[in-house]
Amino acid sequence: MITAKNLSLQYPDGTIALNEINLHIKAGELVYITGPSGSGKTSLIKLLMGIEKPTAGQLEVLSHSMNRIDVKNRMFLRQYMGPVFQELKLINGRTVLDNVILGMRFLPIPKQQWKTLATDALEKVKLSHKILSYAENLSWGEKQRVAIARAIVRRPSLIIADEPTGNLDRKNAINILELLNSLRQENTSVIITTHATHLIDSKLVDQFIQIAAGQLEAKSMEEF
Amino acid sequence: MKAITANIGYFFKETFTILKLNKLSNILSLLSITLAFFLLSLVVSTWLISTEMVEVLQQEAEINVFLSEEADDSSRYEMAESFLEIEGIQASRVVTEAEALERMENILGEESEVLTYFDENPFESFVEVKVDFEQVETVKESVSAYEDVRYVRDHQEVLDQIRNISALQRFLGTLFIVAAGTATLVIISHIIRQGIYHNRQQINTLLLLGAPNFFVALPFVLSGLVLTLAGGLVASLLTRFTVGLGYAQLVTPIPFIPLPPQELLVRNTTALILGLSIFLGLSGSIMGIRSSRKEESL
Ligand SMILES: Nc1ncnc2c1ncn2[C@@H]1O[C@H](COP(=O)(O)OP(=O)(O)O)[C@@H](O)[C@H]1O
Ligand SMILES: [Mg+2]
Repeated sequence: MITAKNLSLQYPDGTIALNEINLHIKAGELVYITGPSGSGKTSLIKLLMGIEKPTAGQLEVLSHSMNRIDVKNRMFLRQYMGPVFQELKLINGRTVLDNVILGMRFLPIPKQQWKTLATDALEKVKLSHKILSYAENLSWGEKQRVAIARAIVRRPSLIIADEPTGNLDRKNAINILELLNSLRQENTSVIITTHATHLIDSKLVDQFIQIAAGQLEAKSMEEF
Repeated sequence: MKAITANIGYFFKETFTILKLNKLSNILSLLSITLAFFLLSLVVSTWLISTEMVEVLQQEAEINVFLSEEADDSSRYEMAESFLEIEGIQASRVVTEAEALERMENILGEESEVLTYFDENPFESFVEVKVDFEQVETVKESVSAYEDVRYVRDHQEVLDQIRNISALQRFLGTLFIVAAGTATLVIISHIIRQGIYHNRQQINTLLLLGAPNFFVALPFVLSGLVLTLAGGLVASLLTRFTVGLGYAQLVTPIPFIPLPPQELLVRNTTALILGLSIFLGLSGSIMGIRSSRKEESL
């Protein structure tokens, strides 16, 4: 579902964020991308979402070549993704329910189902009691759950969470990772980046991809 | 498109949010657009009026003969009678004050109640003389020779003047359409660009979630449209009111003036203004969207 061959990304200012990365992620896998801050984790996600284009090497995501993808196909590709952004990117001034529904409005999901699906997703992230709260009035941990609900309500093939533990205390961080881990399904891969490796429950993980300064360091659980 | 019909409520809510976000500059642009449309519709109305006048006056060669104050009713009728003997005159009849008033009431239609503001009938009686088109000049001379004739009004003169005015108005009208159009386009595209800038984070989020361009753009197009349409509507109402006032002003000093029916005039200018506001709202928004920088970030 995701294949990278000698994948590199160099920013216009010359920074080499990723240097000849090779990886392969199969459908239904739970994958952690780890590495210190500045190692290139977010850059890899930008490539996966088509925000940046590879400057060298090949990247294929859900059968699309990210080297050549056009704007329209990139849009369709993103509709198969459930992103949980590091900054969450919820819409303020909108309720929790509206925020979750916004993830579906332009997908081929009938309008009659929007509310039910959103309510179910919010139940799954244990936020049923906050359904009509405004996004800006939630704690970070609650916002994180809304963002996750918005991602899963789309029934994506690929859930991507960038530093989901970043702004959380230890207890909340572990809870969020547990929630994200549980989202992996037969046809839904989950990719999580984090520098907080000590919080990962490694029994569940199919693949660790460890990056340091844009280079792949270790790939297997044993090495990790 | 299913994604449009399913989201109509959402689009209007978004539009409203966009407009609210930048209230002051939206109000100011609404005012400027209204003013531009209002001036435009005034120029267009007067242009339509003068065109109608030329058309009507062209068809009839007619002179109106106003008699001196001393002339009494019977001498008016005598004179009208005697005019018939002059060569080139086809018909001649006295239009009484009451009839002049009645004509005006017909022209004004619903608005004729303005005439009730006059304490007494503001019109004076005159002799209406139908003339062979080619003989207007000689007839005028003969009629002017009568002792009691105070003043002869010749439509031909008026006609020439109106033609000139009409040409000027056509020029001004075109100029105003271009000027008001350009100004509105600039204002709207700027406002939309501003709105897009203020909402850049939300737009970014939507695009990262795979929203189609139309989904992201539609609320902005709608907010441009709302601004121009609101401006157009207010301008149309102001025009309706002003035309009503203007008709009352115009008809009092020049009772024979052939004005187009007021309803028709108002309807035509309103249609033009609203049509223009839709066109300009759409194109201005699209210009604003096109010229906005698109950048994606995480
Ligand atoms: N838009 C950019 N332009 C230039 N350099 C960037 C840009 N974004 C990130 N970088 C640099 O690329 C490297 C990798 O960054 P990033 O992928 O954000 O790392 P991580 O997410 O692992 O913290 C860092 O050195 C960072 O400063
Ligand atoms: Mg990062």
